[in-house]
Amino acid sequence: MGIGLWLLIGFVLYGLGIAAVLTVPSKMCRSMLAGFGVAGSLALLPAGFDALFRAHSFRAALWSIFNAGTITITADHLAGFFLIVTALVALPSSIFAAGQLQTHPIRHPKALSALYLALLIAIPLVIIAADIYLFLIAWESMSIIVYLIITSSERERSAYLMLAIGELGTLSVLIALLLMSGDHGSLTFSALKSNGSNLGIGLRWTVFLLSFFGFGIKAGLIPFNFWLPRAYTNAPSPAIPLIAGATLNLGLYGIIRINAGLLPHPPIGAGVMVLIIGSATALIGILYATIEDDLKTLLAHSSIENAGIITTALGAGFIFLATGHHTLAAMAFVAALYHLLNHSVFKTLLFMGSGAVEGAAGTRSLDRLGGLLKRMPYTGLFVLVAVLSISAMPPFNGFVSEWLTLQALLRSVVLSSFSIKIAFVTAGVGLALTAGLAVTCFVRAFAMGFLGIARSEAISRAHDASKAVLTPMVFLAAVCLLLGVLPTTVIPMLDRVVVPITGASGTGALVPNFFTPNETGSRLPSDFVAQFHNLGAQIGRNVIPGPGLVVLHRGGTANPVVFAMSTSYMFIMLLFLLAVSGGVVALVVSRRRKVERRRQWDGGVRDLLPEMTYTATGFAQPVRVIFEAILRPQVVEHRETLTEYFRIAIRRRRDEVYLIDRLVLNPVSAATAWISDGLARMHNGRVNAYAGYVLLALLLLLVIASFG
Amino acid sequence: MNKWIEKGLRTGVVTTPYPKGRDEAAGISPGLPDAGAEVQDDNNTIASRCPTDALQPTDGPIKVDQRRCIHCFRCVRNAGEPFPWDSGFEWASLMSEASVFPPSFRRSLHIRVIDAGDCGACLNEVKLLNNPYYNMHRLGFFITPTPRQADVLLVIGPVADHMKIPLLKAYEAMPDPKRVMAVGVCALSGGVFRSGFIVGSGVSDLIPVDVEVPGCPPPPLAILHGLLVLAGRSEPHQFIEPANPVEGGVR
Repeated sequence: MGIGLWLLIGFVLYGLGIAAVLTVPSKMCRSMLAGFGVAGSLALLPAGFDALFRAHSFRAALWSIFNAGTITITADHLAGFFLIVTALVALPSSIFAAGQLQTHPIRHPKALSALYLALLIAIPLVIIAADIYLFLIAWESMSIIVYLIITSSERERSAYLMLAIGELGTLSVLIALLLMSGDHGSLTFSALKSNGSNLGIGLRWTVFLLSFFGFGIKAGLIPFNFWLPRAYTNAPSPAIPLIAGATLNLGLYGIIRINAGLLPHPPIGAGVMVLIIGSATALIGILYATIEDDLKTLLAHSSIENAGIITTALGAGFIFLATGHHTLAAMAFVAALYHLLNHSVFKTLLFMGSGAVEGAAGTRSLDRLGGLLKRMPYTGLFVLVAVLSISAMPPFNGFVSEWLTLQALLRSVVLSSFSIKIAFVTAGVGLALTAGLAVTCFVRAFAMGFLGIARSEAISRAHDASKAVLTPMVFLAAVCLLLGVLPTTVIPMLDRVVVPITGASGTGALVPNFFTPNETGSRLPSDFVAQFHNLGAQIGRNVIPGPGLVVLHRGGTANPVVFAMSTSYMFIMLLFLLAVSGGVVALVVSRRRKVERRRQWDGGVRDLLPEMTYTATGFAQPVRVIFEAILRPQVVEHRETLTEYFRIAIRRRRDEVYLIDRLVLNPVSAATAWISDGLARMHNGRVNAYAGYVLLALLLLLVIASFG
Repeated sequence: MNKWIEKGLRTGVVTTPYPKGRDEAAGISPGLPDAGAEVQDDNNTIASRCPTDALQPTDGPIKVDQRRCIHCFRCVRNAGEPFPWDSGFEWASLMSEASVFPPSFRRSLHIRVIDAGDCGACLNEVKLLNNPYYNMHRLGFFITPTPRQADVLLVIGPVADHMKIPLLKAYEAMPDPKRVMAVGVCALSGGVFRSGFIVGSGVSDLIPVDVEVPGCPPPPLAILHGLLVLAGRSEPHQFIEPANPVEGGVR
């Protein structure tokens, strides 16, 4: 079956799903949502793989619009990759959404289910759109559906903010696309592409800036990401895994599509800009995630951070492309796409975990959670997998992509320009700090949420989530592990996306095949091959088909290996060591010995209150103190005085306004208020004044006309 | 840093020779009334000088209760006939042979110190154990912050009411085998507080004591001796019967 048929099946299933959830009684609406969501995603998955592995991209003209050209869809390798990611997220998310609706009924389950399935239609449409019409229609419906989903449960101002700032992004993207189309009149992407190489440098910069910041709004890049933490926090928990896992990618998809697909590579300055903005986004994102108390907001800030990491890798790719290092560019793009895939998987899993925790404990505040691991062991286990992945711990997937990103940044030594090297080093340092803070952040999130003692009544009565919630979590946790231990299988797939962009293959540079000491080929010195063999990097050569298990970048003869690692062997070794140590422990423990259980040592206090244990706020305090210059907290002190001299309480509250709010949103809104104040003063209601304005305008026009 | 090394080499070893040799430095111990002395006190002149009833008149010779002596020296100074004085420091007495740790604990013990309302003097002496002169680490004794890892619960102070729960909880939290060491006369008998209105009369009211170190405060070497006795590396001063409730009654 061809990709077109699979896509058709997917869209029809999603459409049937919408009709079904709206017609069946409310009780069955959940199973319809899960059933059609999973079925549609199962159809999207082969469509994506088909698109990724076919030699020529799929293209179909759907129908023509009078006087404007035809509506076309296309599915090249890039679209195929994003279809796979979307399907991978949508498949478990649909089951999760149904499970959440079952245990935590909301006001309009039917509306939410229908909107959910509609979003599942809109996202693939954005990806396969091949002309400006369809792209904008799909993009706009995606934005509006997300807006409706967020407002469906509660009427939130954050949704308005998201919609408004999203429209700003759409507008600038539209201008960019129209600038690219020039005066040809054809609005298909292929026409844009052929026109793209004729653009002047000034126009190319304009298109780059408009599209980068326009799509950057959706991707959560600075300086326009103030909507993201608010919107994610208020989004209903059944839908948030899909929103976080799939729609954030679309912004990055747009950036890649325009700057690496439609246009020839962007100018080198643009690459540096992407690099710096990416690393700054990552750093600011993780900084605010580390000090955040609300679990959902924390994850939202962490999404910003990961979008920043991906953007940094993209920026490195653009720079390598502009300087002619095509293999390194391929490496950087592979890193970016790998991290995008990984982030979608573990962030979806984390949002599922936060939804399950909120459902069981009734709160998302890390200061109020605690001790959940005993009550919710399975949820805790899967969240732990996601936490290890996002903290870039081997053998899970986050490690591979972050490691590749950092290695790609370190390859800036090949560049000749000193200033660009400095930009790379700055970005690398930023990412290293980000990685460190990410560990802090997620150790805190897991430890304060799941370890320690229960801090509330509700938690001590909590129990593990239902099977419908746990099943998708198992699936995603398994994907996390698989993506982590099989990088040499994943990289060649990603390479298919990257080759058309860079014109060079990343596989050849990253994943060497198994080789024997005798058949060295011409590319590797024989003593190196022998050493490589002796290190044990060839184990499994006769058993495992396909590429080797080591990710390895070769250098010249002086340094044959620039960097190398293998999470696959690491994983095997880890299993072996775990088995050995487990055996030893079992041997030691199985001896007869007395076991006594006594109360935990609490420092000898009369009553150990939950408030006395280490809180999340306390854990983040060192970070707060170190980054005080960035966070700029406002300490509000409230003193309660009983009589004149007897003070009974001093309360201190720290208010931390989000940096982007402080620098962008608040000044803009203040300026808007100032301008409208001025306008309001003009409209004072006196007829004489209005007559005066008319006269003044007339006079002005006459003066202009007489001079013109 | 090279100055430290030079100074250290020039200073040489300052640590006390105890327990291998005898420490005869001046002022190493204030001493206690000699328990073995047989002094007749016909007119109750000597015993009446004692403010804490450490010297008790009997029909025969004066009975010396070292658990109460606060070294006020009233029985020595300006007395017609000075009371015989024991100027050593090996005073730790053991409850029974069973109080000594099993042989596998001989080389090292971990100690959790609990200040159950002491005046600060005993705490000071315990702190001195860590300094270069006494240096208890060379003997394998270590202070630990958590009772979970402790072998010895070293209690000082007369056990104020508010320290009863923490003391019990700490004792409870310790893994077996565990030993309790009461240090200072307050911990042994209530000392000068002696069942005051907010203090008890020693640790043995609450938890069983294994080794007692008298003194007010006991010199660091006496505490060290107590630890060595517990570890089975030194002979106790004496075996004593479990402490009786102090006269005046327990509340």
